[in-house]
Order: sequence, then C-alpha cells, then structure tokens
Amino acid sequence: MTVLDKLSLNGKIAVVTGAGRGLGRAMALALADAGCDLVVAARTRAQIEETAAEVLAKGRRCLVVETDITDATSVNAMADAAMAEYGRIDVLVNNAGGATAGFGKPLEEITDEEWRVGIDTNLTGTFYCCRAVIPHMLEQGGGKIINLTSGFGLRAGANNFMYTSAKAGLINFTRAVAMTYGGRNIQANLIAPGLFPHDNPAMMEFWRGGKFIPMGRFGQDEELGPLCVFLASDLSSYMNGDIVAVEGGGLAGGHAPTGLAPVVPLEGEA
Amino acid sequence: MANDQFSLAGRVALVIGASNPVGRAIAVALAEAGADVAAATTTRSQREEVAANSCANEFWALNRKGFAAAIDAADEDDVRSLVERAVAELGRLDVLVNAQDLPFAKPLPDVTAEEWRRVIDVNLTGVYLACRAASVPMLAQGSGRVVNVVSLLAERGVANASAYCAAQAGVMNLTRALGLEWARSGVTVNAIGAGWVEGSPFLADEESRRRLERYLPGKRFARPEEIAGMAVYLASDAAEYVTGQVMWVDGGALSHV
Repeated sequence: MTVLDKLSLNGKIAVVTGAGRGLGRAMALALADAGCDLVVAARTRAQIEETAAEVLAKGRRCLVVETDITDATSVNAMADAAMAEYGRIDVLVNNAGGATAGFGKPLEEITDEEWRVGIDTNLTGTFYCCRAVIPHMLEQGGGKIINLTSGFGLRAGANNFMYTSAKAGLINFTRAVAMTYGGRNIQANLIAPGLFPHDNPAMMEFWRGGKFIPMGRFGQDEELGPLCVFLASDLSSYMNGDIVAVEGGGLAGGHAPTGLAPVVPLEGEA
Repeated sequence: MANDQFSLAGRVALVIGASNPVGRAIAVALAEAGADVAAATTTRSQREEVAANSCANEFWALNRKGFAAAIDAADEDDVRSLVERAVAELGRLDVLVNAQDLPFAKPLPDVTAEEWRRVIDVNLTGVYLACRAASVPMLAQGSGRVVNVVSLLAERGVANASAYCAAQAGVMNLTRALGLEWARSGVTVNAIGAGWVEGSPFLADEESRRRLERYLPGKRFARPEEIAGMAVYLASDAAEYVTGQVMWVDGGALSHV
C-alpha cells in the first residue's frame, strides 16, 4: 500500500455539520470523493439537500438531517439518525459555526443573550456533537474528529469577542478530547482556516480583497477538501490534538503594517 | 479523486537527512506519491552513507529516478553542489526537505564552544544553506516547497539538550520568516513538528523512555512513516495556501500539560 492509497476512505461514514455551504460543503464533497458515505447536517434543509444531491451524484450515499448544533436534543437525534442509517460513524467534522449577533460590537454593548448564542454556536455545539458521537466511536474501536477553529482561535481581533473566545476554547477542548481518548484510537485534530469569503462580495470587500494576506489572496473553499481527507485518513494516524492552519501565511507574522524588515547591515561592515 | 491533489508525479524532491529514519520515510513517501528523489546524508559518516544508499534502493525499486549523496549538511559547498546535481540529473527541483539532524545532549557547563557551533551549524545553519541553494531554481521557476523537519524540542525544552533545543527553535522561526519572505513567490515554506519517534537517540535511556511512553495520550511513539504523510501533504498541490506554518505530528504530546 503506497502513501496515496492510505488516503482512501472507502466504506467510511462521515458526519459533517454546517455542510450546506462554504467550507462544510467543500469538505463533505471531498470526503465523498475519497469514498465516504455522508451525513450532512445543518439548520437550513434546502442547502444540505443541495450538498446531498452533489454527494449522490458521486455515487455515495447521503443522509440529510436538519440539525441545530446549539440544541443538544437536536444533535442527539442527528447522531441517532446517522446510526440508524449506517450503523457506525467513522469521521465527525465539526464545521458549523460562524459570526453571530453582537459580532463587531464593543464589549459593553454585548448582551447576555448575544454572548450565550456566540459561545453555543462556536464551542458548545461541538461539545454536543462530540458527546453524541464519541460513544459510538469507542464502541466500534475508534474514529476521527476534525474540529474547525480559526486564525481567530489563535489571535484576537478588536470587537470580536464571542467568536474568538469560542474558537480559542475549541482548541483546548480538542486537546482534551485527544488526551482523553488518544489511548482508545480516537484522534481529534483542528483545522484553522484563514479568510475564506466563499465568493461573497460583501466579505471580500470587508477584507479589502485579501491584499494584506502575505500570499496576497483569500482561500478557496475547495482548498480545505484534501486536508479534511488527510485528517480523516490513516495517513494522519499520529496526529492528535494538533492544528493545521491553512491561511496564506498571516499567522507566521501577523498582519502588521510592515510585513517586511528594511535592510539592516551588520555593524562595522561597509 | 481527492488524492489527485496529493500526487507528486513529475516532481523532483531533495531530502537532506534521508539517512535518518524520519528523512528516509519522507523520501520513500514522496517517491510513492510519484516524485523523483535525491537523498543526502547529514554528515559524511560511513553509517549514514550506507543508510542513504539503502534509501535510494527503496525509491529505485519504485521505478523512480534519483541518487544518494554523502554530504556534510553544514558545508556550504557540499550543499550548493548537491542542489546543482539534483537539478542537473533530475531536471528541476520542486521540493526541498530539510530533515538533517544531529542529535546532541550534554550538561551545559560541559558543552565546548566547538560542540555548540557544530550543533547549530548542522541543525540550523544547514537549513539556511539548503534554502538559499534551493532558492535559485525555485524562485526562478516561481514554484517550490520547502519542508523543514523540527522536533518537539523546538517548542518544549528538555534538560541537557540546550544546544539542540536552541537550534530546533531556530529552524521553527526561520520557517515563519522565510514563509513570509517568499509568500508571493510561489514557494511555500513550512515545518513538520515531529513528535517522539521510535528509535530516537533521545529515547535511549530505558527508564525515561518508559515514563515518556506512559505520558503520551496514545501511549506509543511514532513510526517514521507516520511523520511522512504530512510531508506529502505539504509538498503537494493540496497545501498551496499553506505557508509559514509548523504542523505538529506529535500523537498529542503538545496537548499535554
């Protein structure tokens, strides 16, 4: 078996939350390409049905489950539906999340409700999904968990409180999962995407065309697909609690106004 | 297929340190993914030369082109000639893997200035020399992948290994700075942070080895092949938007308090 054969996910079952659009859809389709049958979960049924149609067109099975990850009952029902359909879950991609009401406000204006929804959407929802799925993974002898954090999980931004706190929390949550279940063949890792505007013109304008990113461009949703397959596959068998950042170089230095040092000659030399 | 983007068919890779277990596993994995490979040693010891030749036998068996070369990874002329030979014999250079590794541990008061310099020269300066030499073909063709291999000791200290730890940390931040410097050139620069690998000289003491094994979440050390998958990812089209990063493959070691 060569290194490329180890990327095959033939016969595996993958659950992807937030699979109705953007990165979640791209990762679901890449997993289907690699051989997975899918469970696509999100709040908006019409969107996950579109993803499902694309998965089915690739000759893979796909179960559509309308799910609100901030509601434990809804998450448990999703896991039950997945088990009823396939009898196992090999891969869980916790992708659902995003900016919520109150994003962009200074701290003193954020309401209790805005704080709670932001944390629920970006941290507690992943806890619910892991809690619902890990017992099945333990019973079947292992599994792969891929959690989506963000550059904002490692660095902060002004007027960005719930999202950045939750995404940072998600990193250590994932490490705790790795510590707890690493001895029982569950590997939990993180993807930290940079700026992926999903072709949304308003986001592209808000981020000034991505010119400040060291590579000079945004990420394309499809660029996370192969990485998701890698982290779901045997090729990443020794990764656990680890972060893979796909972000055009910004985390290496920060988006400072001077990304380039001037020439500073050695003292005493001409 | 998703794994098309991981294919390295038609690419040429140079692996310095293919004479150690991790470098060798990476060289073989790159060959399995389709690349032709030049495999070089870290030092000119006979043991390493034999190991690099044996690595080359593995990729020749896969019908890949390539060669093995005995070099001193800290020697400027050796490194420059190696890159020139890879380009001359294999046609181009797409991937540079800096897996050169000179382990060393001794209480600091006993470390001679000569030993200190040798450890820094091979483990850190050697990476600079290889990056500079590889920059000639890579920047000219507007594409390339540099993959530096560092150890856990880039991020965590360990008693008696101050020189080695300093060198490893140096490579880690060299990776970030150079990733930024070349961000718009088509050449990406990343590092693999390798966890504790079976056979590491730092694991030679049986008692501390057993203690460390119990401490790891998965209760086991890495097989060299388990580090190599990340090298294939970083060398491939799948990682086009990744630069200046350290990718840990550590079995959860850094998750631990």
